[in-house]
Amino acid sequence: MALIQRSCVRVNALISRITKNSYSTASTKQDNIKKSVFISQSKDIYTNLALEDWLYKNYDFTNNHVLMLWQNDPCVVIGRHQNPWLEANVNNLPLISEQGVQLARRNSGGGTVYHDNGNLNLTFFTPREQYNRKYNLEIISRSLFREYNLRVDISPREDLVIREYKVSGTAAKLGRTAAYHHCTLLVNVNKVDLSLALQKPEVDIKTTATKSVKSKIINLCEENPRVEMKNLMKAVGWEYMRTDPLKLIDGGKELANNQNGFQLINPTDDWFPGLNEIRNELVSWNWQYGKTPKFNIIKSFKIPEYLHEGYDVNEDLKVTMEVENGKISDVVLYIPPGLSTSGFSGNANVITSLIGHSFSDEALSGLEMMIGGLVSEKDRFVSECLKQVMISV
Amino acid sequence: MALTRALLGAANLSRSVKITSKSFPAFPRHFHLSNCALAERLYTDKHEWVEVTGKIGIVGISHYAQEALGDVVYAQLPDVNTVLKQKDECGALESVKAASEIYSPISGKVVEKNGDVEEKPSLINTDCYAKGWLFKVEIENNGEIKELMTEDQYKEFLKTAESH
Repeated sequence: MALIQRSCVRVNALISRITKNSYSTASTKQDNIKKSVFISQSKDIYTNLALEDWLYKNYDFTNNHVLMLWQNDPCVVIGRHQNPWLEANVNNLPLISEQGVQLARRNSGGGTVYHDNGNLNLTFFTPREQYNRKYNLEIISRSLFREYNLRVDISPREDLVIREYKVSGTAAKLGRTAAYHHCTLLVNVNKVDLSLALQKPEVDIKTTATKSVKSKIINLCEENPRVEMKNLMKAVGWEYMRTDPLKLIDGGKELANNQNGFQLINPTDDWFPGLNEIRNELVSWNWQYGKTPKFNIIKSFKIPEYLHEGYDVNEDLKVTMEVENGKISDVVLYIPPGLSTSGFSGNANVITSLIGHSFSDEALSGLEMMIGGLVSEKDRFVSECLKQVMISV
Repeated sequence: MALTRALLGAANLSRSVKITSKSFPAFPRHFHLSNCALAERLYTDKHEWVEVTGKIGIVGISHYAQEALGDVVYAQLPDVNTVLKQKDECGALESVKAASEIYSPISGKVVEKNGDVEEKPSLINTDCYAKGWLFKVEIENNGEIKELMTEDQYKEFLKTAESH
């Protein structure tokens, strides 16, 4: 059975779908639940997120719990309701690490994380009723202790920590029938690239978007140099399979051997029909940036003296841009008293040209074209300020 | 002091959309509140509730659901004019790192979403049956309502669900 399944994940998934109804009426007994460990052969963040979503949508986990292990080339992954401009060093991502850093928005909640080949991702799929983050984290913690004698605790925020240092970030998605909990595990991540990629702009952004909690981190290999990726995957996989599916009880090798075992997964559209469609959506601007919760970005600018024209100017020019669905929906200029009467208002055409355009690439290139044509120094100054607002994040 | 606003073109458009989304004179907020006691609240087995007044159903999540979620930090609600089928995924609530999908308990067109909840998602925790409502639907199929649980049936359902 295990052998057949190894090469028949697609078929298995289809059968699961067909028999879903008959399964869900049968009560779940732990004896009926088999566990599988899927190892994705892709290192592409979008493909892996698509695979995760595909399994979540199509697979029946009633009698088959799945742990998916996956790794990615350098990328920043933001939570479903986050603001990429606020969470990541968006403008510089292509310049970080040798191959550049990709940006992705995932479907689960939570905060922003950085992945590279020194990081292991683990996704625990179960029916919604059996969703249990503590159980999953405990399995990881137990495997690290068993294999490497490492003591890793579960913090009150449900993160895995070594002393006060985080080694893992957690997030989850809960649906009608299925749910998953996924987390990162820092093995030997490039910490310099990580901090560059997650460097946040110092700007005033008002938003209801979920904000990340910044934490001190540590790589597992700093605690124990023996920790190595392939071996770690094996260790976590075995710990998962030797643990009772509903309670944290060790069933030893006997239970482990009774499971479906490790399965290498090649995430292609042939094996997972519809996978490409999900991936295309994840890559799209509309998902990555367009899904950003509405926000206001505010920036103040000192007005240079040559523009004062004899007025007493004590205040700054303040620009507020409202961005909805990733597009600029409103621009408000606060012009200090006195200056407004001198005709200092900013060029109306320039301001309106920003509205409706995507923040910030599309709006920025439009603005660049208009700045060249401006005659008035005041208008040029205001336009320059607008530009600064956009390139500041 | 002067505020220069870009009011032309697309800005106008977006503003007018905003106005329509909040201007359903037939259903001002106090209307909903004052009818709480009269309209019956019906429940799904996934812990959503719907309160029906005429053709309009107000949708929210139950006390049990909000408690299970914990502190809601973000509410993504369906946009006005979205046409939903019963059990369609139509939004998400985020709490303690988890995004929980919202499913529509009834089919129909979304006529209003609760902007207050978008601004202050904790209303779902503090007042899930009144100020914490999520969206309003123009009901398409009255037959669906009959299949939902009454308050008493839902309480009974919670008891049996917990005893498992």
